[in-house]
Amino acid sequence: MKPFKSIKWRLQLWYGLILVAVLTGFGFTAYQLERGKIYRQIDDELMRRLSVLAVALHPPAHEHERMGDPPFGGPPPERDMSEGLPDDHFRPQNNFHPPAELAGLFDSADPRKFYFIISFREGGEPVCSTNAPAEEARTDFQNSNAADHPPDPNFLHSATAQTVGLNREIIQQLSPGVTVRVGCTTAPALKEFHLLLAKLAGIGAVILFFGLAGGWWLVASALKPISTIGTTATKISAGDLSQRISIAETESELGQLAAVLNSTFARLETAFVQQKQFASDAAHELRTPVSVILTQTQTALNREREAADYKQTIEACQRAAQRMRKLIESLLELTRFDAGQEILNRVHFDFSKTISDCAELVRPLADERNVKIISELSPLEITGDSERLAQVVTNLLTNAIQYNKSSGEVRVKLDSQNHLVVLKISDTGHGISPADLPRVFERFYRTDKSRTGGGNTGLGLSICKAIIEAHGGTIEVSSEENVGTAFTVRLPV
Amino acid sequence: MRILIVEDEPDLLAGLARALREEGYAVDTAANGEDGFYKAESYDYDAIVLDVMLPKLDGWEILKCLRQIKKTPVLMLTARDQMRDRVKGLDTGADDYVVKPFDLEEIFARLRALIRRSADKTSNEIQIGDVKINTAARNVFLENKPVELTAREYALVEFLVLHRGEVVTRTQLYEHLFDENDSTLSNLLDVHVSNIRKKLGAEFIVTRRGHGYCIA
Repeated sequence: MKPFKSIKWRLQLWYGLILVAVLTGFGFTAYQLERGKIYRQIDDELMRRLSVLAVALHPPAHEHERMGDPPFGGPPPERDMSEGLPDDHFRPQNNFHPPAELAGLFDSADPRKFYFIISFREGGEPVCSTNAPAEEARTDFQNSNAADHPPDPNFLHSATAQTVGLNREIIQQLSPGVTVRVGCTTAPALKEFHLLLAKLAGIGAVILFFGLAGGWWLVASALKPISTIGTTATKISAGDLSQRISIAETESELGQLAAVLNSTFARLETAFVQQKQFASDAAHELRTPVSVILTQTQTALNREREAADYKQTIEACQRAAQRMRKLIESLLELTRFDAGQEILNRVHFDFSKTISDCAELVRPLADERNVKIISELSPLEITGDSERLAQVVTNLLTNAIQYNKSSGEVRVKLDSQNHLVVLKISDTGHGISPADLPRVFERFYRTDKSRTGGGNTGLGLSICKAIIEAHGGTIEVSSEENVGTAFTVRLPV
Repeated sequence: MRILIVEDEPDLLAGLARALREEGYAVDTAANGEDGFYKAESYDYDAIVLDVMLPKLDGWEILKCLRQIKKTPVLMLTARDQMRDRVKGLDTGADDYVVKPFDLEEIFARLRALIRRSADKTSNEIQIGDVKINTAARNVFLENKPVELTAREYALVEFLVLHRGEVVTRTQLYEHLFDENDSTLSNLLDVHVSNIRKKLGAEFIVTRRGHGYCIA
């Protein structure tokens, strides 16, 4: 089997792909969420520092006095100076020195390396913290979009966050011409992201592995019955009809299929065995008449004989041939019924008349055996093949006479019950043993195991059954040993 | 040699009986199992040809009952040719087995072999003085010249030869040479013995007065 043609592999591939897609989706989302969270934390940190920085640059103590005025809008009034705030505090210059509280926030020992850069539109060197990246310090101030922002009293809200290289920065225009950038390195965060990615990938791989392994096991155990079925079917097609699929669990779909197949195989085997038995029985039935012909002719040809001797031989051969002819006719008849090819010549006729005719036909045989035939017939019209039904009646009557005791009785009763014609033929014979009773309609089954008995082919009752069933009727037998046997035929009107 | 045939098909029974009688056997017949078993246990047959499918008592049962009392060679005739049937037949105590339809020659040969084996003889040719007997060809030679014997005479010679060294009683001879239909006139045997002595020499058959006959 090619791997990608097999259901097992295709299923495995399919849910492998699904699993990978789902895991990737979830992993990506989780990564994005975590990443966003970390950036927000960084931004919060930066904002905190920015606000502290802003306060340091513009103490809130003056804010109420400057209500209505744009903060940092315009040159600072003289009063600010008198308030004791250094001018360079308000309009920071290169010589801006952050207060002590700021120094802690932008400690160069911090691995995150927080920094700030204060740049001025009017030019001049920007004021930087010790951690500030050198090249960033010279970023052109004009590029900052903060320059075009109108002065905002609620300045912290107009802050812009951006990622520059390995650094995260927040840019805020504190007053026209003064832009503050607070940043830190994202290297530890990136390291964290990588760790997160590795973790997600690891978890994903483990889930994928268990998913695939579980799936493999599930598919393998689900498909196992198929290979069992296949193996069994192969053995059966090779001729061993006794093979059955052995499946422990019968609840799954395949278990049910196996059960159905098993019952099919059983029926197939039964039919096959019956067919084989039938053919072999038919062959056996022919062996004895052929033996007669061979024995008789070989003896006759051994030496010259008298005409009477030859006549005797020829008569014996004729009897054997007639027996074979009867057997062959019966076999063909049964075969036609089996194949549904026997055409019934259906007519409307009085069944009681047919039965009394049959009784007359067998009367000489009954007289010979001193058997009395007692008929109890009510006129009943039925539709069917009168010749075939007469064959059944004659056969049953002949059996009833042959297997009767001397000076016994045969009772024939015909009446109708529930829209059915019921014919009952009972005798006062030896009866049939309970062991033989269920098999009397079987082909070639004889209760006395011998071939003789009025040219009995062992097919008579099988043919009766076939005829009655072709008419849509039933035939049953009941018997009591040493009391008698009764055959009951039920036919639709 | 006296043979019993148990067979329920009348034409086959009659045909076989006729053929075996013409071969010089004394033949008894039985058309059903009960009759067959009664005869088989009443007489010491040299062989029994037994059909399997019989009314009243089938071949297997007859064989089983018979084997408890007698060692008579039994040749089974059957329409069943499957291996297990053959095995069953031989295991039940049948000495040989022939499947229908058969050739008469085969039945004859198998019966000869059965009778020979039961007499502990391995060869078809038996030499007694100047007389040579071939049990397969059923002929007798005196000083290498063929001797014409009637079937009954041959049967008598063969029976005595197969029981060589034993004294065979007249009753035994009657039982083995004449079948149930023969009229057993007591001097018939003497006539046959006398004829054989004329053909094969007076010393060939020794009379043990009061006991029977013997071939030394």
